[in-house]
Amino acid sequence: MKTFEEKWTAWLDGELSGSELIEFESSLPDLAAAEAEKRDAQKLGAFLKKELGAQTLSNEEFFSHQLRERIARETEDRSRGREGRSTWWTVPRLVWFGATALALFVIFGIALLREHQPGERSEYLTQILHSQVDPAANPNATVSIFESKNENKVTVLWTEGLQSLPADYAAK
Amino acid sequence: MELRPLLIAVSVILAMSGVSSADAAHAVWSGLVIAENVPQPAAIPPELTKFEQTLKDLFGYNQFELIGQSSKTLRTGEEDWLASSKYFSLHVDAHGENDSGYALNLKLYKEKDILLETEANLSRSSPLVIKGPQVGSGQLLLVLVVKDDQQTHQHRRAEPTNPITAGWHRLRRAIHNILP
Repeated sequence: MKTFEEKWTAWLDGELSGSELIEFESSLPDLAAAEAEKRDAQKLGAFLKKELGAQTLSNEEFFSHQLRERIARETEDRSRGREGRSTWWTVPRLVWFGATALALFVIFGIALLREHQPGERSEYLTQILHSQVDPAANPNATVSIFESKNENKVTVLWTEGLQSLPADYAAK
Repeated sequence: MELRPLLIAVSVILAMSGVSSADAAHAVWSGLVIAENVPQPAAIPPELTKFEQTLKDLFGYNQFELIGQSSKTLRTGEEDWLASSKYFSLHVDAHGENDSGYALNLKLYKEKDILLETEANLSRSSPLVIKGPQVGSGQLLLVLVVKDDQQTHQHRRAEPTNPITAGWHRLRRAIHNILP
């Protein structure tokens, strides 16, 4: 069962017909005033349809224009970025970069190798921390330490005054 | 910037550094040597070839005969060993490894008597020579050298050559030769 408002809206839209139309119009207290109101509503509807329709079209155009602009801008940015990347690592720059890195490597290598000055006691030489000869058997024995001056870097523990032994002791 | 080639290069360098550090096994060779002057000197033992001229200059002998030797691969740096001849023996007791080499306690025995006791820090690049007692017309010398583990070398030779590793070793040798 339709309410009065539903029937009224349907009547304004011209959607009532037949017995339903006759029944509704007969239920109206002032048909002429209702007819005038219906015409006004139809005019208003036509006006709104015209205005809103034009505005909607305008919005669509604006939106698509904005969209096209944004797509164009992003495409341009992307292509610009790609061009920037491809041009930065040029062959001459790569050569310079490699040469600089090699030079730094050599400089640091030499600096590290020269940390041990000649004459300074190097950690690469053998060190004698303590040495002792049996004093009972060799009361006059002495011990001295030195390093060979040549490239072999031989460390020598030199003993003097040890008791001499017969040649038999040279046996294997 | 493409990072992948850089990462690959760094990984390869690190891997090769690992390979080179794995080469770090060392052995200590210790020898009992009788140095004498003879009319026709015998060839010097191969372990002493590198120091032949140094030994001749230092001690003034023309022949160096090996009467006892031992080569010990140091894995923990806490090993001990004995190099002995008929009458002499050299007991070496390692007390650990440090940046420059191995801490060693050395005892030279004549039969059961201790002739000499020494605490030394044996460097990988500096051999130790100890002048012992006069023996007949010659001189007893004790020689200690740190060298690359022979077994490591043999194992490495038996493996097929890896071109990257071989290239890396060649590069290292070249840089070592160029830099003072």
